[in-house]
Amino acid sequence: MPRVLLIEDDPSVREGVELGLRRRGHEVRAAATGEAGLAALAAFRPDLLLLDLMLPGMNGVQVCRQVRERSQLPIIMLTARGDDFDVVIGLEAGADDYIVKPARTEVIEARIRAVLRRLDDGGTGRPAVEVHGALTIDRTGLTVTKAGRPLALAPSELKLLLHLSAAPEQVFSRQQLLEHVWEHSYHADARLVDACVARLRGKIEDEAGSPRYVQTLRGFGYRFGPL
Amino acid sequence: MRRARTRSRAAVVLAAAVPLLGACGIRATDVVEAGGPASVQAFLDLDSEMLLFFRAPDGGLSPVIRPAEPSAGFGDAYASGSDSAYTAGPVPTEKVVTTLLAGPDEEDRAAGLGTALPAVRPGGSVAVEPSPDGGVSTRLPLALKDLDSTALRQLTCTIAYNRDADGQVLVRLEGRDGASHSDTCGLARGAPGNVPGAS
Amino acid sequence: MTTGPGPRRARRAEDRGRRGDRPTDRRFPIRAFGLRTRLMLAFLLVAAVSAGTTAALTYREARTALLKTAQDTAVSSFRDHVQQTAFALPVREEGIEEVLRDLARKGKPRPWVVFAEYGSLRASSGENPVSTVITPELRAAARANPRGSFERVVKDGVPYLTIAMPTVFRTSPDSLLPSGLVLYAVMRMTDEQVNVDALLVAARDGALPGLAVALIPGLIAARSVLRPVRDLRRAARSLGSGRLDTRIPVRGSDELADLASTFNESTGQLERSVRELREAEERARRFASDVSHELRTPLAGMLAVTEVLDEDADGLDADTARAVRLVSAETGKLAVLVEDLMEISRFDARAAELNVDEVDVGEAVRKTLQKRHWTDDRVRAELPGGIRARLDPRRFDVVIANLVGNALKHGGAPVTVTLRTEARSPGTTVLITEVTDGGPGIRPEALPHVFDRFYKADAARTRSAGSGLGLAITLENVKLHGGTISAGNRPGGGAVFTVDIPLHAEEAGG
Repeated sequence: MPRVLLIEDDPSVREGVELGLRRRGHEVRAAATGEAGLAALAAFRPDLLLLDLMLPGMNGVQVCRQVRERSQLPIIMLTARGDDFDVVIGLEAGADDYIVKPARTEVIEARIRAVLRRLDDGGTGRPAVEVHGALTIDRTGLTVTKAGRPLALAPSELKLLLHLSAAPEQVFSRQQLLEHVWEHSYHADARLVDACVARLRGKIEDEAGSPRYVQTLRGFGYRFGPL
Repeated sequence: MRRARTRSRAAVVLAAAVPLLGACGIRATDVVEAGGPASVQAFLDLDSEMLLFFRAPDGGLSPVIRPAEPSAGFGDAYASGSDSAYTAGPVPTEKVVTTLLAGPDEEDRAAGLGTALPAVRPGGSVAVEPSPDGGVSTRLPLALKDLDSTALRQLTCTIAYNRDADGQVLVRLEGRDGASHSDTCGLARGAPGNVPGAS
Repeated sequence: MTTGPGPRRARRAEDRGRRGDRPTDRRFPIRAFGLRTRLMLAFLLVAAVSAGTTAALTYREARTALLKTAQDTAVSSFRDHVQQTAFALPVREEGIEEVLRDLARKGKPRPWVVFAEYGSLRASSGENPVSTVITPELRAAARANPRGSFERVVKDGVPYLTIAMPTVFRTSPDSLLPSGLVLYAVMRMTDEQVNVDALLVAARDGALPGLAVALIPGLIAARSVLRPVRDLRRAARSLGSGRLDTRIPVRGSDELADLASTFNESTGQLERSVRELREAEERARRFASDVSHELRTPLAGMLAVTEVLDEDADGLDADTARAVRLVSAETGKLAVLVEDLMEISRFDARAAELNVDEVDVGEAVRKTLQKRHWTDDRVRAELPGGIRARLDPRRFDVVIANLVGNALKHGGAPVTVTLRTEARSPGTTVLITEVTDGGPGIRPEALPHVFDRFYKADAARTRSAGSGLGLAITLENVKLHGGTISAGNRPGGGAVFTVDIPLHAEEAGG
């Protein structure tokens, strides 16, 4: 079972979520502030970070940025609906997904599982390592290098790249990507996709302004290539 | 309500405008008096001329100037035989009355003048004498009661203007029938009502 | 609410203002009997009456003076000439015409025709011895009264001056006696007519330019009177479009200035009242929003542990288990209610955002039905493929889910969802979504209220599974898309909800 670090300032939410997840078999460590959470990170070495955005002192977005500077730990934000602006900033800061409070434990756990789940290869006989231009994608080792230099991709970024590159030149709508990459519903927030694409482009493209690998088809969605 | 008011207002405006606008051009007028009559030259010399009054066609009196020729020689009208005809002064009244009674002459008739007096038998005498009240009394050789008002005024005016240049003399007529009539002529200017044709 | 509802609301108010202005925003139109026309007409009427009256009076006076001069000159001149003439009495026919012609030649200001009447004698200086112009009245007056007189006669359109001059002669230095001779002079007044006509033309030509000149001050005066009225109208319109701080500059101290200051006072009071109302409403809204926010945090904790309760309920004694399950179930409902309240608050605060994306509408509806497991016979869908629209998928999902859920709950199976597009002039295509059910339909008296918050169509059902805000939220979501929603009953029975959303509503989004 995954180890989850929960950073949440409100005691009842913290306790409720911790309780719910622990009942489902997760190993949970809870922290009340961003500072405390960051401190616990090294010792606890969680598989996933559950991060409340509204924190006293160091806020969730800052925590997110600090974590991303060092690791590609999966991060799920806890947010309240209507705090749209914070969601966008959080996603830009590198969060992989977000959950709107209040949420049942089963919803939270489903999100956690989705983020942690490896992409299903489909078992086709495609080679484990593919080369697309300067990019080398190792589907088995789950590493991506650009011109021989390894790229640090967050879990959602990696999954998005793997999904798109598995069918080069095929157009995926945002809704399809939400369903397949994030395991969200068709009607979920497409900004999740857009923010992730933007982050991914920042890492793999030569010029983020004129992308080669992840291309936009206005009105339809995204596709990989053609190079 | 409001419409009626508007209409009446328009009517007022129209009523004011119509006489102003309608009075264009030169219009006819009624008869307008403008000053006195024209005083013409008639060259009347009462010392040698007689002023007789005949009847105009409209019924009024019309004065006629007749020279008083020394006609005693062959005139039979000078019944009184007075010698005053040859003296200075007005023509003797008896002669003037006799001439009037003789009627209009040809010239008078040509102008449409006539007389209301009856023809008098020649030989009838006319006697004139001043009255004590400043007037004149005349006895006539005819019956007064047969005379109409025009005839009486012919006699009165003729005698009055003979006796006085202003014609303002009370004249008393006595007829052969004993009737008498007293009056002044009243034809002088400024005496309305006595003017001929005033009917 | 970091997105700041303030500027957004202000912009909407502006939009409304502009929309309100557009249909009638023309500069003071000239109406058939508007104030301007009436003022101008009154001004012109006054100018016309005064110019006309002045011209007419001047004309009359001038004409009278002109004619009087001509007449007086003619009469006195005629008398003078007659007085210098000698006549024998009785007047003789021979020679009289010569005398009359002599008189006629001396006519002033123009030759005239002279007629003489004496007894039955008739003579003239002209061809006819008797004039056809002299009236019996003039003759009678001359005969009745030995005074000069004249009469103006218009015969066949030609004006004549006829003068009657009875003659007298002197019997003594003090006495005059009518001679019976009446002299008449007849003079055509053509010159006078020309002069009078010239006068008339002059009067008219003076009055008409005067009238035209009066038009300019008339226009200026009308403008100065109308300017405050126009200000007032602009202000009233501006007020009507929501700018309650509108004030009118008060100029001068006339009645219109009084009106302007009254208007300003009234708008001031109105502004105060509206501000108070708005503040009260704002407070109420903020309160609802704050309450929801405050409820949400404890709910988040509670909702996370409801599963624990549900799982462990089986191991408890019966009463405790029922209590625990009740708490769990009601916590879930409370969470839904609070979420809906939050959503409504955001609409009220105009903080709701539209995150549009171009989607296949048929697929979106299908996914909505799948997500709620409405894939059995209860819900049928007629979804033609290939309809693409720019929508906020999450909000569209809420609309469809609420309508279908409402139909299942209050109407009855089968519920049918149909999609179609319809071209509306000009060049706009509308996406029409219809949700019909097989129930008894909505009672007519309930129809106007189905979108009201917490409205219960069935009085007996005091509490439903939903929050009571579902259709209200649906309405707000449709409005946010620039669309409309309506509820009705089908002829064959069953309720029908129709949603119209502009297909290419790119501008409608945020």
